[in-house]
Amino acid sequence: MKISLNWLNQFVKIDDITPEELADKLTFAGIEIEEITKLARGTNLTIGHIIECENHPDSDHLHVLKVDEGQYGIHQIVCGAPNARKGLKVIVAREGAVLPEITIVKSTIRGVESDGMCCALYELGVDKKYLTEKQCAGIEELPEDAPVGIDNPLSYLGIDDVILEPNILANRSDMNAMESVALEVGALLDREVKFPTYKVENKFKSEYTVASETSKCPEFGMREIKGIKTKPSPKWMQNILTSEGVRSINNVVDIGNYVMLLTGQPLNMYDADKLPVKNLTVRDDIEGDFVAMDDKTYALQKGDLLVTSDGRGMCLGGIMTSKECEVDENTTHVLLEAAWFNPASVRRTSNRLGLVSESSSRFVKGINPDQNEYVMEITCALLKELCEATEVSETVHYDTLNHDKKYVETSLTYINNRLGTSFSMDEVVEVLRRDHLEPVVNGDTIKVGIPHNRIDLNEPCDVSEEVIRLLGFNNIKSSMPIVQVKGGYTVKQSNKRAIRRYLRNQGLYECLTYSLVDEKHKDAFAYIDTNENYRLLNPMTSDKEYLRKNTLWSLLNVATYNVAHQEKNLALFEVSDVDSVGKQGTQLSIVLVGNDKVRGSLEEKPYSFYHAKGLVDAILALLGIKENRYKYVRLVSDKEEFHPGRSASLYIGKDLVAVLGELHPNALKELGLGKVAVAASINLDYLLNVKTSMDKASVPPKFPSVSRDLALVLDKKVSYEEIKNEIKKTDKLVENVEAFDVYEGEHVGFGKKSLAITISLRDKEKTLTDAEVNVVINKVIAALKMKFLAEVRS
Amino acid sequence: MANAIERVIEIREKALGEIKEAENLEGLTAIKNIYLAKKSELTALMGLMKELRAEEKGSFGKAINDTKAAIQEAWAKKAAEMEKRKLQAQLEKETIDISLPGETANVGHINPYYVIIDEVSDIFAGMGFEIVEGRDVETDHYNFELLNVPQDHPARDMQDTFYISETELLRTQTSAAQAHTMLSKGGTEPIKMICPGKTYRRDEDDMTHSHQFSQIEGLVVAPGVSLADLKGTLELFVKKMFGEKREVRFRSSFFPFTEPSVEVDASCSNCGGKGCNMCKGTGWIEIGGAGEVHPNVLRMCGYNPDEYSGFAFGVGVERIAMLRFGIDDIRRFYTNDIRFIKDFNAK
Repeated sequence: MKISLNWLNQFVKIDDITPEELADKLTFAGIEIEEITKLARGTNLTIGHIIECENHPDSDHLHVLKVDEGQYGIHQIVCGAPNARKGLKVIVAREGAVLPEITIVKSTIRGVESDGMCCALYELGVDKKYLTEKQCAGIEELPEDAPVGIDNPLSYLGIDDVILEPNILANRSDMNAMESVALEVGALLDREVKFPTYKVENKFKSEYTVASETSKCPEFGMREIKGIKTKPSPKWMQNILTSEGVRSINNVVDIGNYVMLLTGQPLNMYDADKLPVKNLTVRDDIEGDFVAMDDKTYALQKGDLLVTSDGRGMCLGGIMTSKECEVDENTTHVLLEAAWFNPASVRRTSNRLGLVSESSSRFVKGINPDQNEYVMEITCALLKELCEATEVSETVHYDTLNHDKKYVETSLTYINNRLGTSFSMDEVVEVLRRDHLEPVVNGDTIKVGIPHNRIDLNEPCDVSEEVIRLLGFNNIKSSMPIVQVKGGYTVKQSNKRAIRRYLRNQGLYECLTYSLVDEKHKDAFAYIDTNENYRLLNPMTSDKEYLRKNTLWSLLNVATYNVAHQEKNLALFEVSDVDSVGKQGTQLSIVLVGNDKVRGSLEEKPYSFYHAKGLVDAILALLGIKENRYKYVRLVSDKEEFHPGRSASLYIGKDLVAVLGELHPNALKELGLGKVAVAASINLDYLLNVKTSMDKASVPPKFPSVSRDLALVLDKKVSYEEIKNEIKKTDKLVENVEAFDVYEGEHVGFGKKSLAITISLRDKEKTLTDAEVNVVINKVIAALKMKFLAEVRS
Repeated sequence: MANAIERVIEIREKALGEIKEAENLEGLTAIKNIYLAKKSELTALMGLMKELRAEEKGSFGKAINDTKAAIQEAWAKKAAEMEKRKLQAQLEKETIDISLPGETANVGHINPYYVIIDEVSDIFAGMGFEIVEGRDVETDHYNFELLNVPQDHPARDMQDTFYISETELLRTQTSAAQAHTMLSKGGTEPIKMICPGKTYRRDEDDMTHSHQFSQIEGLVVAPGVSLADLKGTLELFVKKMFGEKREVRFRSSFFPFTEPSVEVDASCSNCGGKGCNMCKGTGWIEIGGAGEVHPNVLRMCGYNPDEYSGFAFGVGVERIAMLRFGIDDIRRFYTNDIRFIKDFNAK
């Protein structure tokens, strides 16, 4: 609904304040004005009388006019409009006129001087969609009695309007009615609001009957009108409709629209002579085809509200009339309907059929249910006045609604407590009075009566809002709530933060990716969570149809994007919640591509499995999860995602908590990631929940340790871990085993590797002698030889 | 005797001369071996002592000892000089180009989304708020029903919400966490919480819209919590987030779960409220929505609205980040172009 200030001014005086000031007041009161536009605009305008019209000597369509502009004299104007003719009164833009698109200057057009311009309304800024075809094709034709030479032709024509465009929020559907807007503005400005009264005398008793067979239409009012004549609407009504962005059709249709804009009540008219029987019944149990007045056929379902006559659909309730009983220019006998249809029901039907009308959108938003009689009275009075209606019936009414006025009881204390204000009773009562709530005070209690149009006011809290939005939110001072709770971060939250910070400090970039993925990749890299994905019932596109259960695929795609944008080296991670059917978790994904730059480009080292492993180890250490609690095993998978020889699964007990490794060549190819990419998918939620013991201080050993290096030549398949475990098992003096070199190649022969290790020994009670050390080392060598056929070179 | 003394002088002159001429440590060592060793000529001359007369012994001995000391001193001085020169040569040889890159002390960067999430969380955690972590998959009961958005409300249209089933959906607002928190506290404990998280709506992605975005919800429930408390809390937040001089104003608005409802504006951090491009000349920037919790919501979530009241607020994470960092397009958060992320450093 647009707010025409000219129209509004008929009900509440606002022509003494600027549109900007009014817009500001409305905006702060919750009716946000998004735009202020002038309907038509232009300077140096007047009304002229064409006293001569000749063809241009050098053109087949231009005219040369002599235009009498009264006090401004007679000017020669070259005009291209096909409807320019002698005797016509027109709007003239004089020299120097500034119009929305152009500025008028004296000029010579094909050798003929032209001083001014005859205007079409669209040239003055009126949107063509509000104009007739004729108005769009030529200059505006003014009435014969238009006063020549006046300074304010736009005002004379009633098109000097300013329009406020509000963004109406869901609670204020009443703002779709000019009467409600006037009441609101009256309340904001503390000004009197007056509406004209309409009264139709001598109503007859109609033979038509109405009924409703569904609770979704609890009220249906009807009046019968005879003898109407269809013709163009008067200028004043056309102007209001233009300002409101509604195209004028004819007097009958226009009255329906006018009253709807005025009161918010959608109306419907039936050609009474086209109804099969003298009855209208609302039903919601009919299936089949319905041909609407837009000539389209709609398939009805049970539940759709339908106004029927003799079982046939005459109107899709609150949405659109049928072709069958449409009012046309020959109609003289009309049934007028004012009803209340259930918003949800209208919305469902309207959405399903993709059929939205001005009427349906009003029912959907909610309308005032208590003004049927009033609305029909206005409409009938206008039909008599403007359409020469000869007879108007009394209302034929089906009505099960309770129309009693609603009252809400609240108190000054409640209002001030809720708002944190200290308004006096006088202030509150005064503002509620302005707001048309008729407050009655009894001690601290305030009882207010809710006006019919304010369907948003139901409870004391609603009244508190009225008080503050009209008195102004700037009345609220600041205070701090005193609420004692155990706040701050939990240990888990702090640890999650610490891990993210650690990874960034290792040079990784923290990313954020979408949660929705396509069907093809819904299971990609899903090891941690193998439950079923959530699937959307109504995806927007097929590439975002499933909720991911693994974040690694998304992060790998970030790598792909960046590699495609010439970034060779990437280190990325993301921590994200992940949901699947029956499972909730938090995952950490890591992706490393290209080289780790140890010293810029001077020293680079390709990322490998071991980088990922190092990061995972560090995270576990950071969380206080000791080495003896977790175990890496080779990742076994038939998916070609990780390199089978360069990947691992991490277990804590029997629980898989991470997979990591270099990508499979086929995955690299699909992702366009070059030679090597390393990835890890970690069940962070699990790790954050692992119970760990408190850190404890230990006493540094008193006696020194002794180290010996051994070089072993082994079968390639023997793992470092096996060797390490074996050595540790050999003697309790073995404190630590550490690898310092691994070599595979010609020097050790095919299928073999050389592994160099340092063994540290320590006796807690004394310093070890060479002899004691040698005994242990010899035991180690013997064990390795026997168990792994190791060749030992010490 | 005279000859012997002369010889001592000769040795002294010769030795000092050779020390002076010595070019390297090897030469210097050789000199030491000749003149200061146990079997040096000076030591041999000492052997003549017993042939001397008593009165001559003193001066001869002194001459030899003085000579020895002089040579020793000269030698040590020369040796120190040489040592120093050698070290200098070594240091010179070891000199490097200090302008070459250092060992990579890694500095990772952060998607600006997390900068806001972390900072807002820190601010509210500092004010004693709990940080609640909701879930992306919600039920309509929590996302709508308990927030006073009943069945058949237009806000529940399929058009706007991603549904998983009749009753499950991707949350459209972090407000869903309000109901969870209230119900978990059982209607008697006071609440002070924020919930940052991802939200989803069926919007076409463009510069300012995204089907996935994030919000931070806030909720305080206790006896006597008013709109003034909301203003004070948000003022403190805005000052910490956007600067000490920022102010807060409310405009009337509507949300089903709050009454009164307000839009929250902060004075523009770019122009300080004078009006600029960023605030479209108004001096104010909208940062979120808020209000007093609707009594229906309290009631449905187990709190007696006659005893308890509360306020709730919600801010858009990307929106705040876009304002703060001058980001032009919401899609940048989700593209993760590292040339973009590189600009952001986390504390």
